[in-house]
Amino acid sequence: MTPLITIDDVSVAYSNKTILNDINIEVMAGEFVVVIGQTGCGKSTLLRLVLGQEQPSRGRILIEGCAHDHPDRHRGYVPQKYSLFPDKTVLDNITFGPEVEEFAMFNRFTPRFRRSRREFQERAFELLRHMGLSESDGAKYPDQLSGGMQQRVAIAQALVMQPKILLMDEAFSALDPGTRDEMQMLIRRLWRETGTTILFVTHNISEAVILGTRVIMLANPDGSGSKVILDSEVYDGLLERIGGLWQLGQRAPSPSLCVTAAS
Amino acid sequence: MKLLEINAQPSRTTTWLLSWFLFAAGITAYFVTATKRHRENPDDRVVPTLAQMSEGVYNATLKPEEGAENQSAWTRFSNSMLWQDTKASGRRFLISMALLFPAVLLGLHIGVFPYVGVFFLRFILFFDKIIALSVLPILFIAFGIDELSKIMLIVIGVTPTIILDTFNLTRGVPEEQIVKGFTLGASQFDVAYRVILKQIFPRVLNSIRLNLKAVMLFLFAGEMIASSDGLAFRIALLRRNMGMNTIIPYVLWVALLLFLVDLTMRVLNRKLHPWFREE
Repeated sequence: MTPLITIDDVSVAYSNKTILNDINIEVMAGEFVVVIGQTGCGKSTLLRLVLGQEQPSRGRILIEGCAHDHPDRHRGYVPQKYSLFPDKTVLDNITFGPEVEEFAMFNRFTPRFRRSRREFQERAFELLRHMGLSESDGAKYPDQLSGGMQQRVAIAQALVMQPKILLMDEAFSALDPGTRDEMQMLIRRLWRETGTTILFVTHNISEAVILGTRVIMLANPDGSGSKVILDSEVYDGLLERIGGLWQLGQRAPSPSLCVTAAS
Repeated sequence: MKLLEINAQPSRTTTWLLSWFLFAAGITAYFVTATKRHRENPDDRVVPTLAQMSEGVYNATLKPEEGAENQSAWTRFSNSMLWQDTKASGRRFLISMALLFPAVLLGLHIGVFPYVGVFFLRFILFFDKIIALSVLPILFIAFGIDELSKIMLIVIGVTPTIILDTFNLTRGVPEEQIVKGFTLGASQFDVAYRVILKQIFPRVLNSIRLNLKAVMLFLFAGEMIASSDGLAFRIALLRRNMGMNTIIPYVLWVALLLFLVDLTMRVLNRKLHPWFREE
């Protein structure tokens, strides 16, 4: 079976500084993979590579066996900040994707557009309710929503396109602990319901263990660029193991400490 | 001292009084000076009195043409010097403003599409440094002294600023928004127009608002040097006759018009973009 995402021998370097070094990861459809690591270890770079926003200096990224060199509608994206279009209402943010996909710029003045728009809005309202938001929130602008509500809408905005992969970059990092817990439960529920493959980047160890079915840890132990030092299914005791590696990572452990096999 | 306290919160009455104080002081100082000068020289024309200015305003707006004393006030106003000059300057102003919109689109494309950027940016950065008034003689030689040279003066003077402002605003849109657009199935032009332009447009309108004075400055320079109508032409003409009683109302009229254009744009901006919060 072809992996959904293949990260094959990938390295990224910016002006003589290696960020990622020989990364090899395969993600199968339906997995919930969490990438963790300390600040600056290249987690977000890895996500941008999968997104197609950035190209590797060496190696290749394949989605269902094919290379993609720019972001597209099959890879949904929820960043930590600027996740919603500030000039559009919640409803318009969610219907933006279906609208631009079905209607070219000058086809928006046709009766067919108005009919389709009603359908898109109905779907958007349904998604809003599913996200725990009310219909009245649909008329609000993003800056009238709390951080948690904004991220709920951002997830709805991405999911309405039914992407093959949902890429989330520190999506809950700016939220207060209570809201973060709620969002974690929500994304877990959505993952179970939709079966969408999720690649979630975070620096929060417990979040990684709570959310993921698989955890990948990046670290730069010898200064030659970050490598995968842990790639494991989630199991009891993983939190302590990651904690131990995290401590060692701060003290730049030798490469021999790296663990790459699933437990 | 409370007046210079950073956290001071002036009351409503104080705010009202203080904000109108300089207007009142300016008007009072003017009329005190005018009265004093007229006491010394009743024929003084440098600082006209209120009566002289009223006469100047009447002559510029409602004075009937010879043999047409029975015309209605509205007919007299529509044939008046002030209205004809306002129409002439207003036409040039509107054409110049309309020409700023292609400048906005060019700035957007320079900011969004790297190839367009490398093609235009260096040239526009250089073009921006040309002092528009210094090319005025060239414009008169190249385009004659008709409307085109005056409009070209405004275009050369203001459009590079608008292009560069739009370019900078475009580059200021967070990358996340652009990527998000693509992941939602948007095409290149969808991202440029539906994501970026829509976000920066209120700020672009603000930039145009801030450049209104520059537009008027170049318009006035063109009209004063080579024109046979327009508000600035009239001010330059009246200067020769020391017609201060009409020049001052003309200056105030221009300021009022500009204020109204600015206010209209501000209100329009707020109505069209309710999501926009000015920094």
